[in-house]
Amino acid sequence: MSSAAYRRVIEAITRVRGVRGAMLVAAADGLIVADALMEGIRGNAVAALAASLVKRVGNASEASGVGRPHFVQLRGTEGMLLTLPTGEELLLVAVADPDVNVGLVRLEMLRAAEGLA
Amino acid sequence: MKPTRVVEPWAAPPLERFVAESAARLVLLMSPSGQVFAQHGFTRAVDVMSAAALGAGIVASTGEMARMVEEPSFAALNHQGAHHGIFLGSFTLPRGPMLALVVYGPDSSVGLVQLFFEELVRDLVQSAPAPAPARPALAADFENDLNESLATLFRT
Amino acid sequence: MVDDLHALRAELARDPESLVFLRLGEMLRVAGEPDAAARVTLDGLHRHPHLADAHDLYARILADVGDLERAGDEWSTALSLAPRHGGAHKGLGFLAFRQRDFEAALEHLELALASDPSDPTVVQALHTVRQAFEDRMAAPPASASIGAARQAFGGLEGAEDGLLLVDPQGLVMAGRIAVGGVDQGEIVAAYLAGASQEAARTARLIGLGDWTAILAEGPAGHVHIAPPTPAALLLVRRDRSVPPGRLQIVAERAADAARSWLEEAAR
Repeated sequence: MSSAAYRRVIEAITRVRGVRGAMLVAAADGLIVADALMEGIRGNAVAALAASLVKRVGNASEASGVGRPHFVQLRGTEGMLLTLPTGEELLLVAVADPDVNVGLVRLEMLRAAEGLA
Repeated sequence: MKPTRVVEPWAAPPLERFVAESAARLVLLMSPSGQVFAQHGFTRAVDVMSAAALGAGIVASTGEMARMVEEPSFAALNHQGAHHGIFLGSFTLPRGPMLALVVYGPDSSVGLVQLFFEELVRDLVQSAPAPAPARPALAADFENDLNESLATLFRT
Repeated sequence: MVDDLHALRAELARDPESLVFLRLGEMLRVAGEPDAAARVTLDGLHRHPHLADAHDLYARILADVGDLERAGDEWSTALSLAPRHGGAHKGLGFLAFRQRDFEAALEHLELALASDPSDPTVVQALHTVRQAFEDRMAAPPASASIGAARQAFGGLEGAEDGLLLVDPQGLVMAGRIAVGGVDQGEIVAAYLAGASQEAARTARLIGLGDWTAILAEGPAGHVHIAPPTPAALLLVRRDRSVPPGRLQIVAERAADAARSWLEEAAR
């Protein structure tokens, strides 16, 4: 898939009100594959930290018997990070406002993941 | 806990912060000719010397390749192995160009190393003193300087 | 190996202050020369008395020759110099296991795991100690962890399994997470500490403010992780039949219960 095609897929996520940016990340490396980000979002930081967070949360959730997660949400007082792995190697990541409609974002991320398959 | 050793004290806090954030296992900060001014994680002088020489050599070789394709030299190189990765980054201090060699394990990633490498460079530039006036480099001085650096890097 | 020993000895002779004594001492220990290893290590300790790695090495040499009491003293010294020293926690865990103090062994090994999550020897040691612990506690399920869970979360759905209260160092304070009938709380707690540190860092560096919760949806259920107080972490696990919105409500109730229990315990 071309970079332009990747970008088209993730741009649909950014159209949800409250989403500040979305990206596709190489999960093992924490590097950006494609992104659609608003001004002020540090893409390389989001990519590296999201990949690391998903790995660590994955260890805890696997140890607790629920398996490797297929959706991880980190909530903060001023925003939210949502992640969804697509296959073994890629991670869809969205950064959003704290009051975003998580259900809608999740739906768009699932659609995007299907588009990437 | 592995030691962090520096030839010049101002480099210690930025290096310690970088190691803590990136979870790097081994770090060398050095000149492009392989003269090390700070290290973390190494326990033998011969390993430091070897790694520094090899790292400087890799950067020099790829610098030549960059010239062949008419590019400015590469800012960073990464080699990813099954269990460890090696990151080589170039940066500039007031005294001149420098290199960082970072070895990381599965508890880190090239993304994290690159992210915190940018902060390390900012911290080092902020902390570094103004360069001393240049003096002619004599072979004997170089040998003495190198030996002193290595001695400091392995002294508490 | 012989060449390496010669090279290390030569290096140390050239520079007695160097830390190469650590490598040489370890090599001599592994080669079955404890006296030589001890001489090199003690000389190095004399020059570097505040080096936790050196105390750890000396402790391992003492343990090899059966002087477990002094080995314990050296590992304790290593911890006083470096409280998160993985080798020292591993060593003290080993000593505790030998004395059949499985709880202490688990505590130390969990801290060793938190210090280096990729060390397979620690994971294996944990498995061994847990197995020994379960064998001894052959009459389930009324264990101390269930008792503490009832105290902390009494009255809540899932009070005896599926709720885990952990301190920031990754040690269980109350609760139980059973997988296949076996309590995995200690392992989950060790991983939780790492996850919460990463959550705090991520939220700070990408502008999310203070982190308030993590929700992870997996194939076999969901987990909700949140800090009910600045000095605690709470994990709530439910199967997939519990929707995320309901999980949030359960988590909030559990957090209230945890806060009350912690305040009571602090009095």
